Amino acid sequence: MSQRSLSRLQLHNLHLAQARRTVLEHIEGNFKPGAITALIGANGAGKSTLIQAIMGELRPISGEVVCTVAKERRAWLPQQLALDLTFPMSVEELVMTGSWPSHGALTGYCAGHYRKGREIMARLGISHLAHRPLGELSGGQRQRALIGRTLMQEAELLLLDEPFSNVDSETVDILIRILRQMADDGATIIVVLHDMDHLRRLADEVLMLNGGHGRWVAPNALTHQHAPAQVVPFTMGGRHAGSA
Amino acid sequence: MLDLLNAWFVSPFDYGFMRRAVVGGLALSLAAPPLGVFLVLRGMSLIGDAMAHAILPGVALGFLLAGFSLPIMSIGGVLFGLMVALLAGAVSKMGGQREDAAMASFFIISLAAGVMLISLGGSSVDLTHVLFGSILAINSTALLLITGISTLIVLTLAVVFRALVVECLDPLFLRGQSRRSGWVHSVFLGLLVLNLTAGFQTLGTLMAVGLMMLPATSARFWSKRLEGLIGIAIVLAMVASTGGLLLSFHLDIPSGPSIILLAGFGYLFSALFGRYHSLAAKLRRKTTPLAVEQGS
Repeated sequence: MSQRSLSRLQLHNLHLAQARRTVLEHIEGNFKPGAITALIGANGAGKSTLIQAIMGELRPISGEVVCTVAKERRAWLPQQLALDLTFPMSVEELVMTGSWPSHGALTGYCAGHYRKGREIMARLGISHLAHRPLGELSGGQRQRALIGRTLMQEAELLLLDEPFSNVDSETVDILIRILRQMADDGATIIVVLHDMDHLRRLADEVLMLNGGHGRWVAPNALTHQHAPAQVVPFTMGGRHAGSA
Repeated sequence: MLDLLNAWFVSPFDYGFMRRAVVGGLALSLAAPPLGVFLVLRGMSLIGDAMAHAILPGVALGFLLAGFSLPIMSIGGVLFGLMVALLAGAVSKMGGQREDAAMASFFIISLAAGVMLISLGGSSVDLTHVLFGSILAINSTALLLITGISTLIVLTLAVVFRALVVECLDPLFLRGQSRRSGWVHSVFLGLLVLNLTAGFQTLGTLMAVGLMMLPATSARFWSKRLEGLIGIAIVLAMVASTGGLLLSFHLDIPSGPSIILLAGFGYLFSALFGRYHSLAAKLRRKTTPLAVEQGS
């Protein structure tokens, strides 16, 4: 019981469909504060669908998503970003928009906000880019700026869809460190991952989606099966999820 | 020399109609370009055009009911414009058609309906008046209406500015933050309709869009920052509206088209010689040395 009340996000017998086609069934889950959960599965297994449902963008056919995190403390970094890169905005301004939901749409930033924004940019190693327009950033720099926004937002629930694709290794190292710090501070983090090496370094728990079903596995159970640093397509040959 | 300056730039304003025209033009130049900048940034540049047509039947109905009364025509225009915007939104939600496709259909229906209504009730002179405006004929009531609407637009923009920025940049982020994020879009469309209504009596329903879009599209060649874009667009609009009026006074040419053509000249000039993305900028583009890049 105590564990149930501790958990910020629970999935109960979730049934999800896209365009009337069932994508996922009988998904159960319990996401605790401070835990980083890796969401894995082959392309089309329903990872993005599940994230949409958790964020409230997709209404479940049946079952429910119970989330105790306030809406303005949830952050979602999708893989295909809706972000308009031609928009004339600097890195600092983007990071600062993270404070917008919590202190209202209409009030200006105070010195404290700017100080916090600068601290966050320093942690992410993007201080020197503060006034650079978003359109001129590399993939890695952009990803760091977006994580900066979620830090500014003091996100308690963070969903990341393949945050390390098209990103340089230095950024990967920084992001892994920052995500771990956020989790240690109590955030609940769910990351869609494709790379076994990233999974080994980051995940506390793993939810594997296969054949329309979800299965919770221990990260070391997965990593022991494969050589480290190997990119695994997660086809999970031989297991028929339908029989589960 | 001083006499020449006086004759060109000061003495025209001895006339009351020129004074009212220039105040009306400056008020519009303050309110319209920021809306235009946001339209350009949202990739909705043509929506302004569509909305300008959409207010026409309302204006025409007002004209039929109350004759040439600007307040009544304006109210009709605002109501009809908002209705078309809502309908277009509803059709696109219902049928999965993109909002711009629905908007394109509605605006052409509106244009035809408006022209039909005015022709039924008035003469072709009235029609040209509504379609192309007459900034030199605005009276004090019209001026109060224009300045009042412009003030309202500027104040509302100041209040919703940040929400509008976030909605342009990352709609998903805004939607994630608030269930009521749709109001930002609605407020913006409302301001757009209001602005076009204020503009129609000076520039006409068709050309009111010019003072909104041309300075905004020109500013893209001069600045990469939002504040810069808005500031430059406002200055360009002010220069175009005042300069266009003076040109029309001295050369005895229609005022509305000369204002918009002057703004259009500004656009062509910017596209050729602007700081960014212009032809000249492409010709003089150099690569930044790596050392500078890292040191910055």
